Amino acid sequence: MSVTLPFAHALVAKQDLPIPAWLFAWAASIVLVVSFFALSAAWRKPQFEDERWRPSAAWLSQVLRSWPLQILCGGLGVFLLGVGIYAGIHGTEAPDRNFAITFFFVTAWIGFPFASALFGDVFPIFNPWRAIARVAGGACALLARRRMRHLAYPEKLGRWPAALGLLGFVWLEVVYGSSGGVAVGLEPHAAGVAACVYTGYTLAMMALFGTEVWCSRGEIFSVFFGMFATLAPFGAKDGRIGRRRPLTAAARWVAAVPGSTAVVVASIASTSFDGAEDGAYKSGLEHVGRWFSDAGVGPLATIRITDSIFMAATVLAVAGVYLLGVKGMRSVPGAPPFRELQRGFAHTLIPIALAYLVAHYFSLFVYQEQAQFTYLLSDPLGTSTTNLFGTAEYGIDFSALSPNVIWYVQVAALIAGHVLGLTLAHDRALVYWPDYRRASRSQYWMLAVMVAFTCFGLYLLSVGGA
Amino acid sequence: MGETTIAALILPLAHIGHWLWVFYVLPVLIVIGGIIRSTRAEKKRERDEEGKKRR
Repeated sequence: MSVTLPFAHALVAKQDLPIPAWLFAWAASIVLVVSFFALSAAWRKPQFEDERWRPSAAWLSQVLRSWPLQILCGGLGVFLLGVGIYAGIHGTEAPDRNFAITFFFVTAWIGFPFASALFGDVFPIFNPWRAIARVAGGACALLARRRMRHLAYPEKLGRWPAALGLLGFVWLEVVYGSSGGVAVGLEPHAAGVAACVYTGYTLAMMALFGTEVWCSRGEIFSVFFGMFATLAPFGAKDGRIGRRRPLTAAARWVAAVPGSTAVVVASIASTSFDGAEDGAYKSGLEHVGRWFSDAGVGPLATIRITDSIFMAATVLAVAGVYLLGVKGMRSVPGAPPFRELQRGFAHTLIPIALAYLVAHYFSLFVYQEQAQFTYLLSDPLGTSTTNLFGTAEYGIDFSALSPNVIWYVQVAALIAGHVLGLTLAHDRALVYWPDYRRASRSQYWMLAVMVAFTCFGLYLLSVGGA
Repeated sequence: MGETTIAALILPLAHIGHWLWVFYVLPVLIVIGGIIRSTRAEKKRERDEEGKKRR
C-alpha cells in the first residue's frame, strides 16, 4: 500500500545545521552587499538591453510550431485538464490521493515556472484553453465563412486581470482550502468545480477579446508562466525560435504592459503568505482569529477571514517595500518620474519570484512528483479501483532529500535570485543614469529591498511551515 | 525549593524562539543605517565641493 500523508506544503523536517539558521541571513546579506560593491566597481555599461538574438535553424522553428505538434500538445493539455476535472469531481475527497490536487497545484503550478525559466515559454503549446479556443474559433469562422471579430481589449487594464486572478488562485488553495487550522489542502471537488468555472470564464474572455490577446493579458497561467519564461535563454520572435542572453527579455515584458508589476508582486506575496501561514504568521493568525471567534463568527469563516486579511497585508507589504526602494531612487538627481521607475525596475523582482518558488516548493515538487508519476497516474480517482500502469501501490520516498539538502537548496536559491535581481537593477540604473556613480547611488535602496526580501524569505523558511 | 529555582531559570528561555526574528531584522537595519550614513556623507561632500567652487 502506498504511503498516505496529509497534503501539505510543510514537508520540510527540522534541519540539523552546523550553525544557527539566522546566521545564513547574515551571510546572505554580506553576499548581497559585496555583490553590490562589485557591480558598482566593475559594471559600468548596461549589458541586458540588447537581447543578442540568434535565431535557430528554420527547420527547428517549423517543427516546434507545426500543426501536428500543436494538435498533439494542445490535445494532451485538454485531456489532462479533463482528467483533473473528472478526478476532482468524481474521485476521492482525500487531497493527497486525488490526481486533481497534485496535478493542478504542484505539477502544473510549480512545474511550468521551472520549465519556463529553463526552456522559455513552453506553456502556450500545452495551454488547454488556448487549444479549445483556437479549435472553436476556427470552426466558427468556417461556419460563418468570415474571420471572427473581437472587442478591443482595454489596454489600461493591462495584466491586472491576471494579477488578481493569480491572487484568487492562491487564495483558493491556501485560504479557502485551509480547514481547522491544518493545511490539508483544497477539497478535490472544489478544485474540480473551480477548474470548470475558470474554463468557462477563460473561454468567454477569449471569445470576447481574442485568444492570443487574453493569453498575454488576462489568462492567469499564461501570464504567470510567461513571466518566468522571460528569464530563459530561449524565446520566439516573428515566428522563429531562437537564443538570447538570459534575463534580457524580462525588462521589456514588464515595461510594455500595465499591471505587470502587480503580477510580480502578487507572485512573491502569495508564495510568502503560503510559507508564512503555518509558521511566522501562526501566532498572529490565532490572535486575530480570536477577535472574530469572540464576535460569534464560525470557526471555518474565522480562519478564512483572518487568512484573507493576512494575505492582503502580505501583498501590501511586498508592494510597499518595493515602492519604498523606488522612492529612494527618486532622490538621486536626474531620476525619471516615479511611475516610470516603478515600471522600469519591476523586472528585477522576477528572479526573486522564481527564487521564492524554488525555496518554498522545491521539496514539495520532488516529493509530490513521485506520487504524480506513480500512484496518482495509475489511480487518478484515488478510489483504489484502477491500476492503469501497475504503479498504484507505489509510495513517496521521503528519504530522497535530507532536511539539510533542502535547506541548502533554499538558501542557494534565495541568494542567487536576489543577486540576479540586484544585477538587473544595477544594469537598468545605468540606462537611466549614464554616470555610473549616480547609477550606483540610486541602487542603495534597491540593495536594502533585496536584503529585506532575502532575510524575510530565510526567516519564513527557518520557522517552518514553508 | 530546588524545583522552583530551576523553573525560574528555564521559563524565560522557553519563549526565546519568539524573538528569533530580531536576528533576521538586524542585517536589514545595518544596511539601511549604512545607506543613510553614506547618503548623508555624499550630500555633505557635494555641498562642500559646491562651496569650494563658489569661493
